[in-house]
Amino acid sequence: MVFIENIMSIFSEHGIAFLKASWMTISITAISLLFAMVIGLIFAGFKISSSKILNWIADIYIGIIRGTPLIVQIMFLYYGLANIVNLDSFTAGALALGVHTGAYIAEIFRGAVQSIDRGQMEAARSLGMPYSLAMRRIIFPQAFKRAIPSLANQFIIGLKDSSLVAYIAVTDLYNTALSVQGENYMPFETYFVVGVYYLIIVLIFTWVANRIEKKMDVSKPKEGVIA
Amino acid sequence: MIEISNLSKSFGKLEVLKDINLRVHEKEVVVLIGASGSGKSTLLRCLNFLEVAERGDIVIDSENIDLAKTNLNKVREKVGMVFQHFNLFPHKTVIENIIEAPIFVRKETKERASSKAMALLKKVGLEDKANYYPEQLSGGQKQRVAIARALAMEPKVMLFDEPTSALDPELVGEVLQVMKDLARDGMTMVIVTHEMGFAKEVADRVIMLADGNIIEEGHPNDIFANPIHERTKRFLNQIL
Repeated sequence: MVFIENIMSIFSEHGIAFLKASWMTISITAISLLFAMVIGLIFAGFKISSSKILNWIADIYIGIIRGTPLIVQIMFLYYGLANIVNLDSFTAGALALGVHTGAYIAEIFRGAVQSIDRGQMEAARSLGMPYSLAMRRIIFPQAFKRAIPSLANQFIIGLKDSSLVAYIAVTDLYNTALSVQGENYMPFETYFVVGVYYLIIVLIFTWVANRIEKKMDVSKPKEGVIA
Repeated sequence: MIEISNLSKSFGKLEVLKDINLRVHEKEVVVLIGASGSGKSTLLRCLNFLEVAERGDIVIDSENIDLAKTNLNKVREKVGMVFQHFNLFPHKTVIENIIEAPIFVRKETKERASSKAMALLKKVGLEDKANYYPEQLSGGQKQRVAIARALAMEPKVMLFDEPTSALDPELVGEVLQVMKDLARDGMTMVIVTHEMGFAKEVADRVIMLADGNIIEEGHPNDIFANPIHERTKRFLNQIL
């Protein structure tokens, strides 16, 4: 079995490099997603807002981001703006990924907030809660729960899209695969191995997301509190 | 307690309330009846400003409400509301539903809010359900929790918007019983309902609305036994 032998040799020769690259992929993804969540929240707020100007700003942002390829955004930020802001490749990559994913997350949050029954806001307001308090304590927690499956999906897309930062010289998983393959001329085995790395990361993430979703289940009584 | 004068409200071109005048006295129980689309729910919702009327004045607890100046959140603290579809917060347990506003709006301590909530739950017969989530309760239980939640803000008036319309028939009684107890304790109440038996028993005054007008009002015995207006007669015939 030449295939198995080749795989084993890739693991023994490049295992450490792939592990380091995994860490790079995970960290650039994590930072970009954190950033994307903040952007997503802000622009979801803009879209829900009654201010026409804020709606308009959000529409322009989301329109541009969704209307152009991620690779173009990454290249534009890293090479295109090099004369104005000189970002290192990691920062440029994380920023581009974050701004990109943020647009999609904004739409996910907006949809989730708008899907919450109008009666929830009315009940909160009827108890004397100001709009912002009602949003924070009543609407958003429910919307967030509802958004988890879509968010998890978007996070997985973000993780896989992070492979595009290889083109601005971030030594992530995909970039490592490119250089290993350039060395050993075994594209089949090399891309197979890197695929396995991505798959394992995605599976672990999916498991965590499912746990979080289960934890927010409200079909059983809450234990050990008051009374 | 409540004084409404010349209240008018439209949705687009549709005039839902036409120049309504109404007084509700302290400890009075007023039942609003009328066909669907008559404006009774809208009138109720105007009283805590979930709907904002275009014209007219509303005085609540001797305070003239001026939309530009009055803090509506403060007004709403005094006016409890119970909805047809309960609108409990599904992500919070029964007790968390009740203590939410007392803690975050009235700034009560968690201990005080919780002990008050337990007393209210006892009053509505649900003290054993404190740590359940709304999803685990029957409709009647949900509505009783919703009543307890509104009472936790110690309102001066309670508004009920068809509180039993979404319930299975066998669960209506338990909710009406809680409302009867409240009325007996002297709560000022404005109720939109189709439960005429309940209205007969509990209401001090019944008000009949049609097409956004109050067409008839009076003691339930008079209204139900000798309705004057043709539309009231027709409405009561259909419903009884």
